[in-house]
Amino acid sequence: MKNPIHPAAASSQAFQIAEIRPIERLFEDDEGRDRLEKALSRYPEKRAALLPMLGYAQERNGWVSDESMEQIAGALDLTPAYVRSVATFYTMYNKHPVGRHFIQVCTCISCHLHEADEVFERFLAETGTRAGEVSEDGKYTVIEAECLGACGFATAVQVNDRYFENVTPDQIPAILDELD
Amino acid sequence: MSDATNYVTLTIDAVEVKVEAGTTVLQAAEHAGIVVPHYCYHPGIPSRPAQCRMCLVEIEGQPKLQPSCVFPAQDGMVVYTTSETAETARKSVIEFLLLNHPLDCPICDAAGQCMLQDYAFETGQLRSRYAEAKLVLGRDRVADDILYFGDRCIVCTRCVRFMEELAGDNALVVAQRGHKAYIDTFPGKDLDNAFRGNIVDVCPVGALVHEDFVFKARAWDMDSSPGICPGCSTGCNIDINVKENQIVRTKPRLNPDVNSYWMCDHGRRHLVMANRGVRAEAPLIRVDGELEPASWNEALTWIAGRLEAGDGAAVVSGGAANESLFYMRGLLSELGIDGGTFRVLQGEEITLPGFPKLKLRADRAPNVTGAELHGFKRSDELADVPDGGVLIVLGDALADAPADYGANAGFFLCVGSHLYPAMVNATAILPMTSVLEMEGTFVNYEGRVQRFHQALRAPGVARPAWMSLSRLLEHRGVGEGVLDARAAFQTMAAGTTGMDNLSWSGLGLRGELLSEAGQPAVAVE
Repeated sequence: MKNPIHPAAASSQAFQIAEIRPIERLFEDDEGRDRLEKALSRYPEKRAALLPMLGYAQERNGWVSDESMEQIAGALDLTPAYVRSVATFYTMYNKHPVGRHFIQVCTCISCHLHEADEVFERFLAETGTRAGEVSEDGKYTVIEAECLGACGFATAVQVNDRYFENVTPDQIPAILDELD
Repeated sequence: MSDATNYVTLTIDAVEVKVEAGTTVLQAAEHAGIVVPHYCYHPGIPSRPAQCRMCLVEIEGQPKLQPSCVFPAQDGMVVYTTSETAETARKSVIEFLLLNHPLDCPICDAAGQCMLQDYAFETGQLRSRYAEAKLVLGRDRVADDILYFGDRCIVCTRCVRFMEELAGDNALVVAQRGHKAYIDTFPGKDLDNAFRGNIVDVCPVGALVHEDFVFKARAWDMDSSPGICPGCSTGCNIDINVKENQIVRTKPRLNPDVNSYWMCDHGRRHLVMANRGVRAEAPLIRVDGELEPASWNEALTWIAGRLEAGDGAAVVSGGAANESLFYMRGLLSELGIDGGTFRVLQGEEITLPGFPKLKLRADRAPNVTGAELHGFKRSDELADVPDGGVLIVLGDALADAPADYGANAGFFLCVGSHLYPAMVNATAILPMTSVLEMEGTFVNYEGRVQRFHQALRAPGVARPAWMSLSRLLEHRGVGEGVLDARAAFQTMAAGTTGMDNLSWSGLGLRGELLSEAGQPAVAVE
């Protein structure tokens, strides 16, 4: 699996990923409207539902696109600029497309002592990407993560919402197989 | 001010100040003539985020330094703005601000008027201890006429808060965070607010720059004169920055009664256009069917001898100064002509929500009230010229006049700043200074008489209309010609209803309201 994309351009390949995984509109079906309504019911003002809605956009599309920000702004009576300001403040909202399997390898201290660097390198090698890139087939993005709070089970790896614990470099091909 | 106002007395740097309760320490220090360095605080912007940490001062009894822009002054408080602790804190703030600053003062348009430059110089840190590579953010466009230099930005958020709180349009925001933070709009949604130019004025550094000013002039190369914006009937107080007799920039000048710290973009653009056009530079008189240049004396004698009392029409401009209109009225009376009309360009009215008194008003002329005060009537149509009568045009460009306008007049006198095609039929043309090249007064929409100063040198021998018209009257044996604006104003004030309460020196830089007799009929909000 060779990736022809230069790393500098890697995360700006929205058009490429969009073919594999179209960006869904957020509030035009029952699910979206339901999520919006529930979030709004929890807070005294609409603006407060911004973080949950950004989270929902990421949950649904894998990342928060400019279009998603505009849709959220429309739903919460905010300006798109304000939504972007909040979205860019928080680093864990992805502002660029990621692969279907978003692999976060913990490289903080405990995991670091348990071969986290090797795990991370192996993930990159197996998926044929560089850090933060989307693999050519749109399946994977691998990044280093700050502490995942699983220091007792180093090395910890989070793939989307799922945790893999005590990961060693040898297990990685099996993990990737399992994901497909 | 009522007697019920509570006052507190505090000591700032050994100076005792008495201020109203609720005043902040920073404002109290201003009363005592002490400037506490600050960035994020701007007196015209309501919010006080206290985020730049530049205005930290030492207050006795407080465990830590306090941001003076939000800390309320209290009775008996003892404040030190220049103690060692305060100075050290300030020095650290400057050091942090300069970490990634490109230090491109030599090519920066704010150099010389930059608060970062001033305070960095003041704290005396000539060398940086930061040896690492600087972060480069680059340059961006936030509106079609405003550039953003991310590297120079100190993220004080004045511009963001102006847009949100004054302009009511939260379209400019801080993106990212920490040392990567920068000011940005949403992609593809540039600022299109009619008051956006003010974000350049509130920027304490050179991060936001007007594109039509960029690289045009250094702060110390410009002359500045206080003026009144001729863009609409609000009459915003402005500073006109001039370099080599060209207007390079206009900035709003504080007047809490009119425009606070702000002005609209229409006014800015309008004034830069003043550099354009073909000017009338010398008096022209029609000799043997041709317009020939003449000296002032020659021309005035020639005109005075040929003007005949009788039927006539007059067209003036809502952009002419009061003094000019007063002497115009004098000339019309001398010739037995009643009335006279003026036309006003109309435009969309736009309000600044955070300071609703400031509007770009529908009347796009600065002296509509003044023209009415001097007995001229607003009209949509050009005045009809009686055959063989006198036609006098003051300041109107006659842009939409038919080619033969004024050809049927017995005498067509044109007093104008520019040479326009419709003036071809004139019997005589007197070159007039534009309102930027003379002193005089305007009356704004609410009846406030405001004085403006000369910003530019007039071309050729152009003179203010009040000067040429008063001298024309003198040539006809009426009164004396006036040669300075003060005399013109005083003669006018004495002879005009509603102006008898005004004095030249009393106008100052803030202006004065007309007395009740002269107040405009339209209710003031």
